[in-house]
Amino acid sequence: MIGQGGYNPSDPPQSMGAPPPSDPPSLLFRYEPMPDLDRPLRERLGQYPRVPDMTFDALRTLARWLAILLFRLQFPLEVRGAPPQADRVALVANHASHLDSLAVLASISERRRREIAVLAAKDYFFERLRTAVGGSFFAQAVSFDRTRYTELRRWSRILREQERGTLLVFPSGSRRRSEAHDAILFVLAKSGWIIVPVAIAGTAEAWPVGRAVWRPFRRIRVTFGEPAGEVPTKELAAFLGEFWRANA
Amino acid sequence: METFAQPLPAYTALAAVGIVLFGAVLRVTRLTAGWAPYRTWLVMLPVVFAALWLGVWGWAALVTVVSVYGFKEFARASGLYRERLFVLVVYAAIVAMNLAAVFGRFGLFMVAPVWAVGLLTLVPIVRNRTEGMLQGFALSVVGVVYFAWFLAHLTYLAIWQDGLGLVIYVILATQLNDVLAFLTGKLLGRHRWTVLSPNKTVEGSLGALALSIAFAFLNWQLAFPRFPWWGVLAAGLIVGVGGQIGDLTLANFKRNIGIKDFGDLLPGHGGILDRLNSLTLVAPVFLHFARFFFDGFP
Repeated sequence: MIGQGGYNPSDPPQSMGAPPPSDPPSLLFRYEPMPDLDRPLRERLGQYPRVPDMTFDALRTLARWLAILLFRLQFPLEVRGAPPQADRVALVANHASHLDSLAVLASISERRRREIAVLAAKDYFFERLRTAVGGSFFAQAVSFDRTRYTELRRWSRILREQERGTLLVFPSGSRRRSEAHDAILFVLAKSGWIIVPVAIAGTAEAWPVGRAVWRPFRRIRVTFGEPAGEVPTKELAAFLGEFWRANA
Repeated sequence: METFAQPLPAYTALAAVGIVLFGAVLRVTRLTAGWAPYRTWLVMLPVVFAALWLGVWGWAALVTVVSVYGFKEFARASGLYRERLFVLVVYAAIVAMNLAAVFGRFGLFMVAPVWAVGLLTLVPIVRNRTEGMLQGFALSVVGVVYFAWFLAHLTYLAIWQDGLGLVIYVILATQLNDVLAFLTGKLLGRHRWTVLSPNKTVEGSLGALALSIAFAFLNWQLAFPRFPWWGVLAAGLIVGVGGQIGDLTLANFKRNIGIKDFGDLLPGHGGILDRLNSLTLVAPVFLHFARFFFDGFP
């Protein structure tokens, strides 16, 4: 019979054993701009967690590589210990010089260097584009607003949500102060991050506060301590102060 | 005509005088809203002229960087930026097209989009994914054609022996066309004519077109001394019409995506694309007009 088994446009679609099709996917484009699209460039450079950005990541890699190379060429570096292999690690260091973050960056593995974020004062680094570019690209800095009352609450939320990462924190908050502030340590501990004490020695002589240029060929030492897991939160500041003094 | 063979020094001097005068006008009129774009021009003009003074390679480098950043703004706004491979192919296309332009390889330059789109078809295969790939592919083709190829015509324009004058004219005239459309629209505008950019008026658009033609004739001896009168008229029309179409095209992109500006790199202007919008279409149309009728390009 002619037509039997042939194609008829009015026939319902035949099942081929596959489940009936669900709603067809929409052919309309849906635009999802990057979440930081409406933020100024200097804010984008300092945000944490960082929104993936090919050009920024490439420039950051290049600048970091260059900065560490120059640091290594100029300063003999001694590294004692290493940070633990864990997902959420906060390296908590003393702070006396602009060279401190570079000294720590030069002391850790490349994998950690890629993901590390150095908490840096927003009012010092991220108010002008020039310093924001320098801080973000060369020193992996992210913005911490020490003048804002709610900043610690914001960071507490961010740290709880982060599943992995490495932070470098200078809890003294300034190169001119040697004691750690309790608040940021409290936030780190309560957010479940592993606090690793880090003592940096020699950078204060290599580039003292108030001096325009650094003095090359000074010996620098970076010491990583054991994680402060068992130390009660209230005693963290004292524990860190003791570690820094012992390894000065 | 030998005195007009070197338009770059003349335009550099004119730009310097213009920027000083513009600053003086702002100071006298106390038009505070104009200071942010003025300060940005204070940076942009030296960068543009420095690249031109450096020669074809300097100019090509600037066009490449600006195209990459412009496409990045588009990709970030549309969400394409999440698809790294698509973006990398467009970046590579931008570099390749500008190199083809610098070396004057017209055939290669004209088929470069074919090769770039061919490469883009491989992305879904390499990613082994279907979700979002049609959208990613389509947006990347826009990137290849509109931000890579169209803008690379600015590099190609510069390699002609009379090209420097054309490049500077195209840039200054399109930027001036934007300002004129805004000013005439503000002063005389009554009838809005497009939903793509609701502030555009018939009076503003026609006023900008008329003034662009006048500007072309003012630049006749400096920018294109070999053109006959109808060539100069066409140059004014290309800038006056093409600039506004380019402006509307980018406005259409923004309205589809649902954003106001593409970025904030240029204070008082927005993103790079908010400044380049009228240039994207004018550059290729101007080059092919000049090449077809005056046969100047290699």
